Amino acid sequence: MNLTTYSTDPAGLQAFYEAIISAHDTYAPVEKFGKFDFTRVDSLSTCNTDSPIPKTMSVKPLFFPKSAKVMKYKATSEGTELTDTEEDPLAGKRVVLGVRHCDARSLQVLDAVYKWDYVDTDYGKRRENTILISTRCNEASTHCFCTSLDYDVEQLDAFDVAVINGLDEKVYLQARTEKGETFLKENATGLAVANGSAQEEMKKQFEKFASSFRLKMDYTEINEKMQGQFDSPEFEDVSSNCVSCNTCAFVCPTCHCFKISDEKLRDEGVRYKSYDSCNNVYFTLMAGGHNPRPVKYRRWRQRAMHKFVYYKERFGVNLCIGCGKCTTSCPVNISIFEVVNKVAK
Amino acid sequence: MEQLLVPMICTVEKIIQETPDVRTYRLKFRDESLAEKFDWFPGQFVEFSLLGSGECTFCIASSATRKGTFDCSIKRAGIVTADIHRDLDEGDVVGIRGPYGNWFPLEDLKGKNLLFVGGGIGLAPLRSLIQYAIDNRNDYADFTILYGARTSADLCYKEEIDEWKNNKSLKVILTIDKPEDTWKENVGVVPKILEEVVNPIVENTKVITCGPPIMIKYTLMSLDKLGFDPKDVVTTLEMKMQCGLGKCGRCNIGSTYVCKDGPVFTYEDLSKLPDEF
Repeated sequence: MNLTTYSTDPAGLQAFYEAIISAHDTYAPVEKFGKFDFTRVDSLSTCNTDSPIPKTMSVKPLFFPKSAKVMKYKATSEGTELTDTEEDPLAGKRVVLGVRHCDARSLQVLDAVYKWDYVDTDYGKRRENTILISTRCNEASTHCFCTSLDYDVEQLDAFDVAVINGLDEKVYLQARTEKGETFLKENATGLAVANGSAQEEMKKQFEKFASSFRLKMDYTEINEKMQGQFDSPEFEDVSSNCVSCNTCAFVCPTCHCFKISDEKLRDEGVRYKSYDSCNNVYFTLMAGGHNPRPVKYRRWRQRAMHKFVYYKERFGVNLCIGCGKCTTSCPVNISIFEVVNKVAK
Repeated sequence: MEQLLVPMICTVEKIIQETPDVRTYRLKFRDESLAEKFDWFPGQFVEFSLLGSGECTFCIASSATRKGTFDCSIKRAGIVTADIHRDLDEGDVVGIRGPYGNWFPLEDLKGKNLLFVGGGIGLAPLRSLIQYAIDNRNDYADFTILYGARTSADLCYKEEIDEWKNNKSLKVILTIDKPEDTWKENVGVVPKILEEVVNPIVENTKVITCGPPIMIKYTLMSLDKLGFDPKDVVTTLEMKMQCGLGKCGRCNIGSTYVCKDGPVFTYEDLSKLPDEF
């Protein structure tokens, strides 16, 4: 299938967005207390499709909710019954606007763990029914290092439609998947198909973007060096300031550890699946008191090694996509970029 | 709805008080069609939930060759297990997900001498394989069970052990840590009895062991001294788990998911993992 690129201008893009919002269930970054969350929107004026990366929660909760109901149960005189919770609110057909490259890439990384062996069909359905429309960044943020990791930002097919700024106020809409191609055919009515110079312009724009990165590393080298660093004394040093607040895992687009907990009121109860983090002291605490990671540096070691060694060994990709959200949100300024660079000396 | 995590309902058919802090819960599926489909191999585990309290991981302590019901032996050790001991009565319901994980290398064990080395509640996962092997007795050569506990009161499955003792085709050796007035069997920690009393032949023998970490540590040293190859020593690993599906990330040791790649490992496998358990 040939993937088409359409060309328009900023006003045309706004009109395209508005048309989508009126025709589809649409999610986009909405500001609340100075931060942005992907929220269901009814009009373009309430959201910001170019919300700044450091201030935007990842798109992860739309696929892996912060806290999801697993089931309800009720004890009656006839015995205990499990009841379904209400319909999955995230399973329907929907469009997400304003997804950054890194965020979209994180979903591809998560697919690996959700689809191996036991396939998480709920997650799969949410993925399948979602059209991701990405906005390309024009400039790297302070803590961004996405161009340093093991994927090609330029050629990414993690989203269905890419919105790319060209030169001279031009905007290109590029289908990146077949799903995106079909979607654009149906929704980009009135937009012109881009001419041959579009590719060249987009490349120039990308080069400008790529040159704006403050942080750069060689991920192959980091991966290799990290492998032998299990006993590195650096872990103690880099984690010493950590207050174990777990914000990093919460905002991280690829962190996917969760816990299962029950909430009970008299004879009725609900079971939840909620975010958890390997930085929690009780994460590996077993009944009886044994804990393989009782001290902070061991938990930090797990975090760094899981992201840059273990996940790669298992699934072939890094569990970090270089978005820098953890670093921006960290109350004590721990930077994952600095951590791995220090450890991988 | 998170379909992978929804349990099936089982009824507690019988509760057996094994020791002061261990009880065996014999479970039966309320829906009989589920019972038909629920098949497992020795060494696999289930996610057991006391609705309202939470979910815990327990090995299945009985063999699928004795179908209809299955056992979970539960030691009172933490929050949920304390609730289970306090609140769960015969006739009550629990949620079960599973069976999960890998199992003992049944093919590798065929034709071999089996030496089981268990300590305390560590006999539970071994019991599943012991029952399985008894039910397929002709597949194996010598059959030895060494089982120890701190005191005679802490020995699990006492009635079944008597049955094993009466079975002429098995050799059962029991031990407790300190002498007791009425105790007529061995006294001493498991590794000591393993070396001094059992003194197993190494050739064509597979060792299957499970017990408290300190016992495992010294048992492995003894086995090494006796000349066993780490490939021939099989154990089942304890690690905090929640989903059992290779998703929640809790049981990771390096790139290994204990819930998927384990819980059964040979000593050789274990020595390749990062030292984190």
